Amino acid sequence: MSEPAGLYVHIPFCLTRCGYCDFNTYAGLDQLSNRYVEALQREAELWAPEWQDATFVSLFLGGGTPTTLKHDSLVNLLRGLRSTFSLEPDAEITSEANPDTVDEPYLARIRRGGVTRLSMGVQSFDPNVLGALERIHSPDSARRAFSAARRAGFEDVNLDLIYGANGESIESWKRTLEEAIALTPEHLSCYALTIEPATPLGRKVAAGLTPAPDADLQADMYELACEVLAMAGYEHYEVSNWAKPGHRCRHNLGYWEGRPYLGLGAGAHSYRDGRRWWNVRSPQQYLAMVSAGERPIGGDELLSEGERRTERLLLGLRTAEGIPVDWVEDVRADGFVAHGLAERRDGRLALTDRGLLLANELVTELVE
Amino acid sequence: MYQRGYEGSARRARTLASRMDQSLIRNFCIVAHIDHGKSTLADRFLDLTHAVAERQMREQYLDRMDLERERGITIKAQAVRLRYPSRGVEYELNLIDTPGHVDFTYEVSRSLAACEGAILLVDAAQGIEAQTLANFHLARDAGLTIVPVLNKIDLPQADPDEVAGELAELVACEPEDVLRVSAKSGEGVVGLLETIISRVPHPHGDPGAPLRALIFDSSYDSYRGVVAYVRVVDGEIAGRAKILLMASRLSFEAEEVGVFAPDAVSIPLLSAGDVGYLITGVKDVRQAKVGDTITLADRRAKQALPGYREPKPMVWSGLYPAEGGDYPMLRDALDKLKLSDAALVYEPESSLALGFGFRCGFLGLLHMDIVKERLEREFGLELIATAPNVEFIVRRGDEVLTVHNPSEMPQPATYDWVEEPFVLATVVTPSSHLGPVMELCQQRRGSLQDMKYLSPERAEVHYLLPLAEIIFDFFDLLKSRTRGYASLDYEHWGYERSDLVRVDVLLQSEPVDAFSSVVHREKAYSYGKAMTERLRELIPRQLFEVAIQATIGSRIIARETVRAKRKDVLAKCYGGDITRKRKLLEKQKEGKKRMRRVGRVDVPQEAFIAALRVDQATSGSEKR
Repeated sequence: MSEPAGLYVHIPFCLTRCGYCDFNTYAGLDQLSNRYVEALQREAELWAPEWQDATFVSLFLGGGTPTTLKHDSLVNLLRGLRSTFSLEPDAEITSEANPDTVDEPYLARIRRGGVTRLSMGVQSFDPNVLGALERIHSPDSARRAFSAARRAGFEDVNLDLIYGANGESIESWKRTLEEAIALTPEHLSCYALTIEPATPLGRKVAAGLTPAPDADLQADMYELACEVLAMAGYEHYEVSNWAKPGHRCRHNLGYWEGRPYLGLGAGAHSYRDGRRWWNVRSPQQYLAMVSAGERPIGGDELLSEGERRTERLLLGLRTAEGIPVDWVEDVRADGFVAHGLAERRDGRLALTDRGLLLANELVTELVE
Repeated sequence: MYQRGYEGSARRARTLASRMDQSLIRNFCIVAHIDHGKSTLADRFLDLTHAVAERQMREQYLDRMDLERERGITIKAQAVRLRYPSRGVEYELNLIDTPGHVDFTYEVSRSLAACEGAILLVDAAQGIEAQTLANFHLARDAGLTIVPVLNKIDLPQADPDEVAGELAELVACEPEDVLRVSAKSGEGVVGLLETIISRVPHPHGDPGAPLRALIFDSSYDSYRGVVAYVRVVDGEIAGRAKILLMASRLSFEAEEVGVFAPDAVSIPLLSAGDVGYLITGVKDVRQAKVGDTITLADRRAKQALPGYREPKPMVWSGLYPAEGGDYPMLRDALDKLKLSDAALVYEPESSLALGFGFRCGFLGLLHMDIVKERLEREFGLELIATAPNVEFIVRRGDEVLTVHNPSEMPQPATYDWVEEPFVLATVVTPSSHLGPVMELCQQRRGSLQDMKYLSPERAEVHYLLPLAEIIFDFFDLLKSRTRGYASLDYEHWGYERSDLVRVDVLLQSEPVDAFSSVVHREKAYSYGKAMTERLRELIPRQLFEVAIQATIGSRIIARETVRAKRKDVLAKCYGGDITRKRKLLEKQKEGKKRMRRVGRVDVPQEAFIAALRVDQATSGSEKR
């Protein structure tokens, strides 16, 4: 059996930590990066026997900031993974990138080394918003990095944007969207700023030092994005994701469609046949376990039928394609359809733009 | 503890059982305001009479319930027999420890009826308080000899001379006759015991007459059934006697009689003048009600002792299980609890908003709190209590309708008038705070009945007030307006006509019965406004706009809107950590399940509880 699967590789290093970010990433641990990349290869080998029958159709280098790695080390890593697993020849290989860590020569090297898609954390084109997010780059460096990516041969580029930071107005968000569109990326991810309690920003909000994002303003910003991006020819194919036709992110679609994935690196999650497991979060502990020849598993869970069902709904309803109508009882969904929050089309039930913004609430209503 | 009574040391039982001439018996109680040291004084009596081995002694010895010890209050009466030698003669002192709270005024009155004397105990630093006055009047009306005592004389802030003056004035004696003790150190306590012996009259019952014993309290023991606390007035009673309860007309065999010393000790006989217990063998305290008279089935007394009264609930509230499926558990718990609480009444009711539950009647708010806490603590239930209300009497021609649930109050214009219960409240306050106290009473529809100065610095005022106006937060406000110095007590007065209206609360045009309230017409608007505003804060935004309205009949008096929710989604859902997202969602789902769905609107349980607090915001001008 050759089951299409996704491969995720976590690079837990950043130049600085952003106040809102709760990902498993660390600033100032770069001295570990060589050992870490070696460990990733070793971990891959530890898993290889069980994943021989899987065909990886996508590989995603996430973080953290993968582009903090030296280009040759990143390219070597990809080469190693290709030789360890069966990766489709035209697999989508994405790397996240921070505008400040890349220039044209760097990007050209990794493009030649096999990276096909670049996802850049631009977040905003408004310097005040970047300040509120504690981002180190400027709007200009984002523009420079984007054109460098083009010159380096990237034909598949995503920009990550965040809306709803303290002080961002709807006008500012509109300008950010227009600037992003002007660069003509193939893909845009627009995330509503979410306050995570265990972050510096979360603590500031809890202490009343800065306001929590206004949900209604974020809803307005979301609706603006739906409108502006649709006019610019982007398809809204998941809650926070828009793409030009043919440029949807295959790797992320894999998560939403419930396909298996293997995660390598500190804190990475994996899923296969109803079982999910995750690696230890600490890079040091990860290194220690892998160098001892041990799989660095921190925990796992076997999903019950009910939990699998909840996940299928939770993930499926985030996408434009939605779910087969017979996954939920008609009566449960009728009200949402009547109120314009969901639509039935071609035997599928999908949320409308307005419904997508309420996906949590709707899913809790749809699961028994 | 009654098992111990059975097995208790034989020698001790013999000593305790030895018949005492009535002239050597003194039956007395301690009446005091809360925290004036009643339980500590009782502890000292136990010490001095060696009633409890030192190693078993603990504070508040007589308050056995956890709740009593935690709150520092007495809920159940206790009676303890002490042996005390005075000038070579051994006396039998029966100390009856009474509850002090206004909710239990009837129980207090029966405990007083079992005594010949009362120690009126006053904190030498605090002075006379409202409960001091109320209990003093009860004791005096019961014909008891009052022994005025100052406690805590060793406190640095004590002002014994000043307070002795107040106390002498109250009981009409000389200030020198006021005893001074420190229950904590024991100073003056021996003198107090001597004074009790010399001043409190001994019982004058007729040991040869047919038995008449007063039940002044009862409790429920899971092993032995109902234990009646009795004062034998005439005649005598032995274990195994066939007895008759004169008010309830129930007849059964006394399984055992005994005394508390302070643990239960079985003895062969209780006779005229004695205080002790009787194990009835019945399983329901309703069969041995406080105030009833016990006589012998085969030698009946002609006349019962005076003063029997059926317990009358004054405050009502709907109790609902937080989890609807717990209804059978709640029913069983109430059935069990009523065995030990004769004042608790309840009837099943159902609410559109809260499902199946019970409308329960309580003696007062403290009683309600205690019942609710016992249900939660002893039976592991989680409950939603609706805002407490009083009982209303609706008159329509010759018809009389009693309403316990505000949502059952008929619409205006379908009746002639409504009556509500009033209380005569006594407030004792420093004169300097008299203004704010009177202002508060006026805001609560009070009418001034009387005002007196206890001393130039302290005054007592008497107001007639609707019970409904004081059951929520009156006491808290009184305290906050007088820096904690004022005290309150009240007695029930009876029903008076009032201009009351029912205010309903509607969600999406559907009335929510649990939010209905009966309020005075003049306060209806501010109540409706406060209630709708409060609910707007408490009801989470939903997929559609929620209209909250307050109405009187078909007239809308207040309206608020909860805007539709627009955004509720996890922005980012990749990176593979789907477990966390699913768990967040499951938690959200769980939270929704704990809400009550009224029509299409999800209402959190807190909204039902918080509705209780609305009254605070509507009490006249102040907002806290």
